[in-house]
Amino acid sequence: MATTSAKTSDDNEPAAILACRNVSVEFPQYGAAASVALRDVSLNLRAGEVLGLVGESGSGKTMLARAIMRLVPPPGEIAKGSIHFDGKNLAELDQESLRKIRGRDIAMIISNPRGELDPLQTVGQQIASVLRHHLDLDRKVARDRALDLLKQVSIPDPQRRLDAYPHELSGGMAQRVVIAIALACSPRFIISDDATSGLDVTVQAQVLELIRSLVSERGTSMMFITRDIGITAHYCDRIAIIYAGEIMEIAERAVFFDDPQHPYTVLLLAAFAQNERLRRYWLGEDKARENSGPSPVGCSFQNRCVRVRERCRTDHPALIERQPGHLVRCHYPVERS
Amino acid sequence: MSLLEIQDLVQHFPIAGSKSVVRAVNEVSFSLEKGETLALVGESGSGKTTIGRCVLGLIRPTAGRISFRGIDLGGSKTVRSPDLRGKLQLVFQEPTESLNPRQRVFEQIDEPLRALKVPRPDREKKVREAARRVGLAEALLDRYPAEVSMGLQQRVGIARAMISDPEVVVLDEPTSALDPTARAEIIDLLIRIQRDLGTAYLFISHDLSAVRHISHRIAVLYLGKIVEQGPSATLFAQPSHPYSVALLSSVLLPNPRIRSGSSIRLSGEIPSPINLPPACYLAGRCPLAIEPCRSAMPPVETVAPNHDVRCYRHGEVAGLVPDFDSFARFQSEADRILSAGVPAL
Repeated sequence: MATTSAKTSDDNEPAAILACRNVSVEFPQYGAAASVALRDVSLNLRAGEVLGLVGESGSGKTMLARAIMRLVPPPGEIAKGSIHFDGKNLAELDQESLRKIRGRDIAMIISNPRGELDPLQTVGQQIASVLRHHLDLDRKVARDRALDLLKQVSIPDPQRRLDAYPHELSGGMAQRVVIAIALACSPRFIISDDATSGLDVTVQAQVLELIRSLVSERGTSMMFITRDIGITAHYCDRIAIIYAGEIMEIAERAVFFDDPQHPYTVLLLAAFAQNERLRRYWLGEDKARENSGPSPVGCSFQNRCVRVRERCRTDHPALIERQPGHLVRCHYPVERS
Repeated sequence: MSLLEIQDLVQHFPIAGSKSVVRAVNEVSFSLEKGETLALVGESGSGKTTIGRCVLGLIRPTAGRISFRGIDLGGSKTVRSPDLRGKLQLVFQEPTESLNPRQRVFEQIDEPLRALKVPRPDREKKVREAARRVGLAEALLDRYPAEVSMGLQQRVGIARAMISDPEVVVLDEPTSALDPTARAEIIDLLIRIQRDLGTAYLFISHDLSAVRHISHRIAVLYLGKIVEQGPSATLFAQPSHPYSVALLSSVLLPNPRIRSGSSIRLSGEIPSPINLPPACYLAGRCPLAIEPCRSAMPPVETVAPNHDVRCYRHGEVAGLVPDFDSFARFQSEADRILSAGVPAL
């Protein structure tokens, strides 16, 4: 049974800043086969590109971020594959070298900014400590830089906020501080993991605008992880859909939203539709529901797919390039004439 | 007479060790008819959950009147009175936290019936019927909450709320903890139940796509005050309060060509309900604010039948957004994309 993923078109593209090749993350289980959190994930990120990674809870989207940062929680491990960043294979790097890269070349913005910040240190101290660690700046210079960063993330009254503690900040403000920390060393690659999900919608809009403008000004590449496919339509250049640890579809934004081909992608879009008939078709008829998790054999999406056929039960579909740059993992993709 | 009527509801919470109070709800009035869905929308701190709790009699309002079927609930009658028990129900935001992890699904759905002292044989039948109604497979009745997905857990929460044949159900962000597809399924389920049973919903949410799908009327709350109230279709097509416009334009629909990109951008964040702004609560964030907005609270004005707005400049707001309904434009494109591969009728 073919489980190796197909080669992507941009395999040898020199401009790729990050290249994941067949990355699998497994959690060994006592007396059973290992549980697979990521399965043969191959992804390239070009310089300056914002890639949206969309998946539901448990789909492995955060695990991919953790694999790239080499922060897979034990006993989980990167079972195979390579993650090339800047000529180095992150999957094989030692802890010492990783520490130099994390926070400096690759930064991460996570949700729950209050949990991320140290409650006992002022905002200024926290930003400065990243700068001092990686760039070896002295106290005074680091503090000036920190102030500068707070201005860049549009925090009102930055001079005063420099000496504020996290509990004195609103959620939106705390998220801006986390963004400032991520940007501190001008990383070339940022992973945003559900960074705006805890914010109110009007504040979310402000923060998204801010992130987008900061990365495009600096030419930073970003992997934007989210549950909300709507965000990716407006803030990402390319979109990848992940389900049960596998990439199901990936394409440039315009193509992706104009011609989505994987039934799971279409299902995600149907959740926004008003049309009763289309909604009922894609979301499924009213039937009594049992748990319908991913399937280990055949296509992982088969238990939730409205278009499932015999072959999907036995044959694991490969990620096939259907048009240049548009890859789909499905035996029977949705076709539009 | 409306099924549920709220008049000038005020809810203040004292702060321990301080003379100031949190002004969570400030003179809110609305009504709910049988079989109708009213959505209370607003961001965190807008008082929407507090209103829900007042309606259910979980907290005693500081001032104001709540009446159900014309009966004043503040006086000798309360939600706990024998003839009103189970007639107002609640579905919580977090299914995982609102279910008892040590009870099987069956017992959870059964609990209101036990409280109402329904005889055992009837209960068994009713639980199975409720499970069927919310699309829970029979086999799941013997499971524990942790053994089923979040979407199914929320179905249990809904079954539990519906089992006492309530007339009003307060849905407090019932979908926000769920994944998008489960979210859509729950909304569809709620609509179907309402169609079958004629239950009235007070739908509390900040998910505007869901709100548009399920609600007949919408009340937009900002800092415990209703700033705009009207029929769902009108509000989405022609919002007249700057805050409603900002709220609607922050919705990101999955179509890169459709961006509500309005000319009204709010600055900053929601102020503290402890120190409310002196006049219009939005004045500090609103790009249209003028002098009167900072000196006196704008009165409620009726701009169309059943469409009320609390803004001095509502005429200009309406003019700024002549055709706001990006949702409608989105739908026609979505229909084209989603039709592919769907068997014709």
